[in-house]
Amino acid sequence: MTSTNLSNLAKIGQLDPVVYSKDLVERMLATARQRLRDAQLIQNSDETRFDCAYTAIRAVADIALHINGFRTSASKPGHHQTAIACLALTLGVDGATIRVLDSLRKQRNLSDYDGELVSEAALQECLKQAQALLTRVEVVLSN
Amino acid sequence: MKATSESASDLLFPLQYRGKALALLLLQPQHRLHVREIARLTGTVAGTMNKELGRLQRAGLLERHSVGNQLQYCANQAHPVFGELSALLRKTIGLADVLTLALTPIANRIGVAFVFGSVAQARETALSDVDVMVIGDVDFGEVVNLLFEAQTTLQRDINPKVFSAADWRSKLATKAPFVLDVLAKPKLFLIGSQNDLDQLV
Repeated sequence: MTSTNLSNLAKIGQLDPVVYSKDLVERMLATARQRLRDAQLIQNSDETRFDCAYTAIRAVADIALHINGFRTSASKPGHHQTAIACLALTLGVDGATIRVLDSLRKQRNLSDYDGELVSEAALQECLKQAQALLTRVEVVLSN
Repeated sequence: MKATSESASDLLFPLQYRGKALALLLLQPQHRLHVREIARLTGTVAGTMNKELGRLQRAGLLERHSVGNQLQYCANQAHPVFGELSALLRKTIGLADVLTLALTPIANRIGVAFVFGSVAQARETALSDVDVMVIGDVDFGEVVNLLFEAQTTLQRDINPKVFSAADWRSKLATKAPFVLDVLAKPKLFLIGSQNDLDQLV
């Protein structure tokens, strides 16, 4: 079921098929862990911390796609959104959580491109979600 | 504007069909809709809605267009009271009630909630997000999920901002441009009032 739905996304060009690479997964995992650690450093600004936690979320979303044999097509607009939406298929993330992750994506666009500030509540949510996703993908990878 | 048993919108628009039709069409004046769509979106009976739309059209508040074999209705933006009536609807039946209702389950933990940005300033386009500020002891995630249903009702993306009272105060103390900007511009209060917002300082 999962691979059928992902294949359909590949047919419409949202995803590209990739050959599994253990080396690449490990590098992406290292990125996710490092960004989450950076996000926890309180000497950084809230905006930087938020940005790092969000990058960790994206890295996990990309790892989950890679494990399933795909990556987002960078030539299509909205590849962040696609990777996040695919978490429902790749890691079995529930709808309510996907909606929160997607709101964090929008918040990240507003803070990166419109200079909108990041609230403590948005930062804490981003940290919580990044940690939860990282733990989730680590469990999958250890099996 | 709390959702109470007798709201301002009920008093001002005692005829449910009239209020619903006006809110739907005047708050999205660029949309032309046919009777069945209007009935579906407002949860009303098409036959009764059709009669009401006829009355509103004869009074000049709505325009009727024949498209193929369909009759479509939209707001008559040239009517002298279009501006005032849509402002009244915006602040009563429209958006605010939907959002207030959505936040009701956590209202006891919210100090102040309001709409800001282009929608509150009535200069939104069909594509504008609805910016909602929630200040209180609530999680970003729970606010996102409570407002999710309202996105479907309003046919707009909702972009929530969540602050604890302490965080709001500290951002205000550092004169964060975003916070000062929000304070200076028009707001539509959903929970609490301007007074409650002033008290947070």
